[in-house]
Amino acid sequence: MDITTNPADGTALCNSCFTKIDLNDQFCNNCGYPLKGTEEEQRIFQSTRVVNEIDMADYKKKLTNAANTLYYLCGIFVVYGLITFFLKKDDDDVLAYVLPNFILAIVFLALGGYTKKKPLACLISGFSLYIIVLVLNAVSSPATLIQGIFVKVIIIGFLVRGIKSAIEVDRIKKENNLA
Amino acid sequence: MHNLITELNEPSDKTPCIQCGDLITINNRFCNYCGAAQYIAPREAFSYKLMLMKQAGFYYAIDLLVCILAFFDTFHGLSWLICADAIMAFTAVAFFAYDWQRNKEILKWKSFSFIKLLGFCTIAVTAQVLVHYSVNWLNLTVYSKDVSYYSFYASYGYGKILLIMFTAVFPALFEELGYRGYLLQTLSKITDDQQAVYISAFLFAIIHLSLLSLFWLIPFALFLGFIRVREKTIWYGVFFHFCFNLTACLFELL
Repeated sequence: MDITTNPADGTALCNSCFTKIDLNDQFCNNCGYPLKGTEEEQRIFQSTRVVNEIDMADYKKKLTNAANTLYYLCGIFVVYGLITFFLKKDDDDVLAYVLPNFILAIVFLALGGYTKKKPLACLISGFSLYIIVLVLNAVSSPATLIQGIFVKVIIIGFLVRGIKSAIEVDRIKKENNLA
Repeated sequence: MHNLITELNEPSDKTPCIQCGDLITINNRFCNYCGAAQYIAPREAFSYKLMLMKQAGFYYAIDLLVCILAFFDTFHGLSWLICADAIMAFTAVAFFAYDWQRNKEILKWKSFSFIKLLGFCTIAVTAQVLVHYSVNWLNLTVYSKDVSYYSFYASYGYGKILLIMFTAVFPALFEELGYRGYLLQTLSKITDDQQAVYISAFLFAIIHLSLLSLFWLIPFALFLGFIRVREKTIWYGVFFHFCFNLTACLFELL
């Protein structure tokens, strides 16, 4: 069984995660690799770890998609805000129509920006906010519910997938000490 | 404070492995002897968390529906307000009681401190003063409107008492029970405490259906959430919320 060694000072390193190990240990205390296990056991461990890493990469991609969806929503509301402004700029109550759009844009931007740090919080918040916006629009003019329904379904889909991924990412990180 | 005997038997930086019991260094993620992961997330956890999320979503949807109905003309008037508040109060109690064994802990008030209570109430009153003037300014500037809470109740007998009950007492009690009680507890089972506070705060803020008010609703809710987590009781929050809302009423009644 060949043990990896640190080229700098010759100390033994785990074959899987390369943290320092004690030669008396049966398992690496950082990642659980069976240091003194059979080649079969070590192979199985490595392939499980690879599967976990692939899963992690997949979940992270879904989180990025969800964050991008939030950025996209920010852009949509900036556009609505600008359109409303130009349509109503001579009205007295122009601010009442334009401000909500820009507030929403800022909120979605912030939520998208913090998704990397606090994925579940930002995605659940963004999803709920979007649903409330849709419902309120439907209340004031029911016809708008159908307009762009295709895009709305896609947005909701990405956000829900992101929420599920956020929970899974949390679990895998804690279980396996993956970055 | 060290128990000398304990220290001789068990070095303080080691803890038993959860599977084989051998002593391993604290914070090691895996046991050196048997390889067991020291943190196990059961496979069922994902579907359990999903179930909790759907349950929380159901609670939120009910509150949202009640709030949205207020936009329709048929639902104006005192009788609807009483109905709406009753539904939301009942829902908060029902969902809270669903996991009574675990949730009842935060109904206790173990670390009661009159100074703390006074401190929180003072902060509440000060905060409302700031909010009151900024919101009035915003209403005038953006909507050219002067909003009054009391005008709705003025035409009824005991209007002042109604105002205080429906603006200060009931929201303080039942919104805390529902959001810092049920919702925060449930979210804490899905994710860590900090994210649970963020989520419950944001959801509480947006259900008031006022984008302009978010600038004070979000910090308000975050503060309430953090108090609840730190003091492990909803009661400081209830009194904070009550003082905050009461001060708003008093601006009009006095």
